[in-house]
Amino acid sequence: MSEQFSRRDFLKLAGVGAATTAVLTGCGPASRYVKREPYMEMPEYTYNGQSTYYATTCRECAAGCGLVVRTYQGRAIKTEGNASHPLNLGKTCARGQATLQGLYNPDRVQEPSTGDWDAAIQVVADALKNNQPGEIAFLMGMAPDHLFDLVSDLAGATGMNAPVRFGALGMFEARATLSKAAENLFGEAALPYFDVGGAQVVLSFGANFLETWLSPVSYTRGFAGLREAQTKQRGTLVQFEARMSATAGKADEWVPLRPGTESLVALAIGRLAAEMRGGVMPRAFSGVDVLDAASKSGVKVETLQHIAEMFANSAGALAIPGGAALGQSNGLEVAEAVLALNALADNFGKPGGVYLSALAPNQAEYHRPASAKEMQEFVQRMTRGDFKVLFIHGVNPVFELPKSIDFKSALSGVGQVISFATFPDETAAEADHVFPDHHGLESWGYQRVVTGTAQPVLSGAQPVVSPFYNTRATADVLIAAAQLAGGRFAQALPFKDEVEFLQSKVALLMGEADGSFVAPEILTFMAYFQQHGGWWKNSDGRGAPDTASALNRNINGSMAEFAGDGEFFFVPFVSTTLAEAGANKPWLQELPDPTTTVMWNTWLEMNPKTAHELHIENDDVVRVVSEAGAVELPVYLYPAIRPDTVAMPFGQGHTAYGRYAENRGVNPNDLLGQHFNEAGDLAFAGMKVRIEKTGRKQNLSRLESMMGVYGEGMGEEH
Amino acid sequence: MMADHNNHAEHGEAHFREKHLMLDPLPRGQMNEMVMESMYHTTWKFWVVFGLLAAITAYALFYSWGVMIAEGLGVAGVNRPSYWGIFLVNTVFWIGISHAGTFISAILRVFKAEFRRPFTRAAELMTTFGLVQAGFSIFMHMGRVWLSYWLMPYPNQRMLWPNFHSPLSWDLLAITTYLLSSTMYLFLPLIPDLAMARDRSTGWRKTFYKTLALGFRGTEGEWAHLRNAMNIFAFAIIPVMFSVHTIVSWDFAVATRPGWSSTIFGPYFVIGALHSGMGAVVAVLAIIRGTMKHMKYFIRAEHFDAIGKLMLIISMGWAYFFFNDYMIQWYGGDKWTDHLLHFHEYGPLGWMWFAMLICNVAVPWLILWNARWRANPLLISIVGIIINVGMWFERYIIVPISLSINRMPFTWRMYEPGIEIPLGIGTVTFFILLYMAASKLIPLIPVWEVQEGQMAHELKKFGRETVVTVSELE
Amino acid sequence: MATLNELNIAEVKLSAEESGKWGMVIDQDICTGCQACVAACAMENNLSFVGEVDAGYGRSMHWIRIERFWEGEYPEVRMTNNQPMMCQQCGSAPCEPVCPAFATVHSMAEKINLQVYNRCVGTRYCANNCPYQVRSFNWRDYERPEPLPNQLNPDVTVRRRGIMEKCTFCIQRIHRAQDQAKAEGREVHDGEFTTACAQSCPANAITFGRMDDPQSLVSQLAKRRGGMHHLEELGTLPNVTYFNGG
Repeated sequence: MSEQFSRRDFLKLAGVGAATTAVLTGCGPASRYVKREPYMEMPEYTYNGQSTYYATTCRECAAGCGLVVRTYQGRAIKTEGNASHPLNLGKTCARGQATLQGLYNPDRVQEPSTGDWDAAIQVVADALKNNQPGEIAFLMGMAPDHLFDLVSDLAGATGMNAPVRFGALGMFEARATLSKAAENLFGEAALPYFDVGGAQVVLSFGANFLETWLSPVSYTRGFAGLREAQTKQRGTLVQFEARMSATAGKADEWVPLRPGTESLVALAIGRLAAEMRGGVMPRAFSGVDVLDAASKSGVKVETLQHIAEMFANSAGALAIPGGAALGQSNGLEVAEAVLALNALADNFGKPGGVYLSALAPNQAEYHRPASAKEMQEFVQRMTRGDFKVLFIHGVNPVFELPKSIDFKSALSGVGQVISFATFPDETAAEADHVFPDHHGLESWGYQRVVTGTAQPVLSGAQPVVSPFYNTRATADVLIAAAQLAGGRFAQALPFKDEVEFLQSKVALLMGEADGSFVAPEILTFMAYFQQHGGWWKNSDGRGAPDTASALNRNINGSMAEFAGDGEFFFVPFVSTTLAEAGANKPWLQELPDPTTTVMWNTWLEMNPKTAHELHIENDDVVRVVSEAGAVELPVYLYPAIRPDTVAMPFGQGHTAYGRYAENRGVNPNDLLGQHFNEAGDLAFAGMKVRIEKTGRKQNLSRLESMMGVYGEGMGEEH
Repeated sequence: MMADHNNHAEHGEAHFREKHLMLDPLPRGQMNEMVMESMYHTTWKFWVVFGLLAAITAYALFYSWGVMIAEGLGVAGVNRPSYWGIFLVNTVFWIGISHAGTFISAILRVFKAEFRRPFTRAAELMTTFGLVQAGFSIFMHMGRVWLSYWLMPYPNQRMLWPNFHSPLSWDLLAITTYLLSSTMYLFLPLIPDLAMARDRSTGWRKTFYKTLALGFRGTEGEWAHLRNAMNIFAFAIIPVMFSVHTIVSWDFAVATRPGWSSTIFGPYFVIGALHSGMGAVVAVLAIIRGTMKHMKYFIRAEHFDAIGKLMLIISMGWAYFFFNDYMIQWYGGDKWTDHLLHFHEYGPLGWMWFAMLICNVAVPWLILWNARWRANPLLISIVGIIINVGMWFERYIIVPISLSINRMPFTWRMYEPGIEIPLGIGTVTFFILLYMAASKLIPLIPVWEVQEGQMAHELKKFGRETVVTVSELE
Repeated sequence: MATLNELNIAEVKLSAEESGKWGMVIDQDICTGCQACVAACAMENNLSFVGEVDAGYGRSMHWIRIERFWEGEYPEVRMTNNQPMMCQQCGSAPCEPVCPAFATVHSMAEKINLQVYNRCVGTRYCANNCPYQVRSFNWRDYERPEPLPNQLNPDVTVRRRGIMEKCTFCIQRIHRAQDQAKAEGREVHDGEFTTACAQSCPANAITFGRMDDPQSLVSQLAKRRGGMHHLEELGTLPNVTYFNGG
């Protein structure tokens, strides 16, 4: 796009009346040069007292929700959902709302560690040029975005290592297990899509889909559809997990099974349901003994029976495997058992059933982020000295990976570590150079929507404000460095800048049929792409899984193995509001946790009865010891957790990452050992821990009243 | 009052003299000199105590309050749901203290209770000085005290008036009225004593008393005017006094809160105010008697005995209204009120509820029945202080403790005072400081009233009986 | 929530008192307690964050909070439905008569409670008298380090210490929509805009709109069976209707 192309031209071109005030703006190049100006020198398109709205993509997690950002005099002042975006239909989660607290965070990295960008680009160019391609590695965030495509292209053309994507969310979602199970059952390594909204009875085995799982905004909409009592019968949600998550809190029934017995329970329900339906018992369920499963899991046979009855008799039965249920030594088996339930319900490819997620328009196949096992191997290569240069973008592995995998020490085995972090996180602190990328709201880009919508979506991003600091788009840095490095590098990235690269990719969509908009030439197409916040197909792009073999295979029902010799099962779960990168946003810190209402800290959930036996009270600091490490944190007496289980949120425990995150709470990753399931996902829920009292107390900040909710300090029972 | 002494003829005149100030006249000149001397006589101890209290007051009312104004009320302990804390407790407390002054002075004057004569001044000063502390407390409580003048109905361009629906506006008017009228009422009987002091002093004091005495010479006409004015004020100020604490109670009773919305709060608060006020009066009298020269002549056991009886009756009245209030709330059966009553008794500060009953009922009832104990200045002043502690607890229970419990259990939370403590201590020290200053500047004993009473009282013999007679003076 | 054409509710007559009235309906059955509304409210209305200690001491500035309780004991324990609680914009509001400064008054135009920040002197009587306990007081001047203030919404006043504040039904959005409609010579359409909380809610549990229009989605929803007002027995005439599902 040429620089002469002004926003005014665009308005004429796009046929949007200039009188419209709340324009969805595909502002094109104009916004690249937006300055935060005083009233005296307003950018030409800014109307005094009028807001301008820009469509972009939320970068807080990898789901890829569409945003519309309200700007005013060149400042972004509110993020709102993009109502026409198929994934979130105008809605956002709390993290999306707090994006601006990242943009305007007082602790951002404000300039490259080299002082100026010419030197920084020289450093990158030297790193590319002076090393063997095989010695150069890229580690990137979970989002399948344009930068990932750019690096992939670069790697493909030069023989560099293909970029590796990783994120703690993916680890705690056990994505690898899910897609491996899909591969085993359907013959296709895809990410399943569960149509909760169309279902009538949903059995969820540890999938915290109302919190952080896969695409929480979209799945919450599905949940609302499930419950919609006005238009159809109110749907039922049953949640199987040892600790009541916020999702289980909304369930009609919470089944606190013994951790590690999920596959037994799923198979037992399948068997009972198959019996009720009559006919031949599918092979998948034939191996399970219901009574044995009931006694091992601690779930009453009657409970299994009535759930099976509900499942068997419903026209819209759906079973979802996810979260902690898959993060165990037998996680793959759990995923297969639960997916087999869907095969029994015969819901594959039907409304209220299981689909294969729609691939994004420019995506050939599902490319999942690295599993923890793959990351372990990556770390081993780092330690061995396989990499002379490691580029890190969009991920904070020192914080996000289990401490036992020890990414931090492995960094010393790498010759040169270059971080593109926007915030001074733990990994950036260990890097040789930090060349800060823009914040998401200052950036160009696109992102593939991997799950959560029926339509294939390529979500578009554009800067909504001019960069606040002396930061630079990583794509621009790489392009410039490749040009400087010359040769294959220059040939791999023959672009003037990031926008040109984007255009080259977006242009491929112009030929696709059934798109949300059409345009005769690329400039208009690109303008629409920005204005609409992306491009998507109007048709359903989901696949129907092949059901043929799903029921016709043996699934072993076994109990998971647990590492460590403690007396408590350990359930780490992802904080809904903080997740892996929210802790530096003060308002996210001050949002109460949906289940405990704790703010600004980490807590250990423990059953009140257990605590009573151990003489532990609320706010007592305990030491949690696993085979891999120990942490100290205050106890929250949580009434909805198994007496033999303790749980801890992931999200705090930063040692860097700005004033609001640092030295606050603890990180459950410090307790996780290196145990993986068959699919290579971390068996993060497969740990046993020991609890030791410290004799100290630390008051947790709660929104709730302990007197009003728990009757604490109210005298005897009244 | 005097009638029950008729049976004690065997004690004879000397006994009566020793016992009753009214029957123990001294020459007027000598008495005037005694009062003047009690003002002039200042020991080093006085200055040490004065300096100490002044330092504490300065720290609290200047430094601590300054910090709070600069930082906001976050330095105090108030929170959601206890939006009101010790500042409001102290406001109610000090207004309560202030009640005894008017009660003793005006009601006893109206009913011609003769024993009042030597201590009306000290009691009236308590009204004014107590209200000053109440004023401080209420201003401390405000979030933006620098805009407190917005509560005044003053003419302004925007035609903005305070909200006369708000009990706080009623409060403001009632307290202001009370402060002005009680100050007037303090000043009127002070005029003859100021004139007396003017005639017996030199230097700056002469100027000071001359100015304040307003040229009073003691002519028949001046006395007649003064008596008229005092009579009008004595009658008029009684309803004002009753209204003030009733209106203070409306701050709570009008609100839609469990524990507050009680129709009996008006008289309950008035009797509570008198309870604490009387307790404070005996304590003040005992201190004055113990520390100031010649005061043992003016303030005698008979006075403590008489006030002790009043205290006992008021304590019974308070117990009745407390029980009444409790009954109404308990019998109402509202679940939130039930929670609250339970919380009062068994919550984290349940001890305070029981301590309140011990201080306000058990202690006075056990001690004040006994005439000898009652007449012991030290003992009764300790009882008076205990009653004040109990009454402070009562207000603490009504304000922050009751606020902890409401109809939204999700928000229940305890209140933990912060900077309220130094500020509250500051009001106490300032109160004492004002008294100390007053004791050196104005006659704490209304000499003319004592002399008038002594003129009216006479011992007469009827056969073998010695009888006290009082003649009508006016 | 259901869309309008799925409901079949008889039209009711509109009284004059209802004119201009705004209202909200909350479906607790589908509220997941995700806190998106809380965050959205904070971002829209320039709420201060107060830090760990003050937040734990009941001084957080949330204009909307999500309450939840527990029923029963393990293993029969149940989390009650999440209950978003914000200013109920009472028709007969206990907070209003007790303010000595007229800082909280009833708006005749929108039929909601207004908090006039610059008139507030901080007696906090309104907050004591609010049966819903939804008013937040600025206990301090809370720090907002640079460049965080860039985020401040210019349509909403920034409050200083000593001032009471509370949910306004995003009155700035109401006025923006009304100005727009007026400029175009029309009425505000139903669904043309909504409050920040309703806008963000992923479950669509919050519906906001005109109560004076019997055809609007919110007034149709409010008339469904099973709706309730909190503490209605106090005669506060709340403007928020709750549905508890099932």
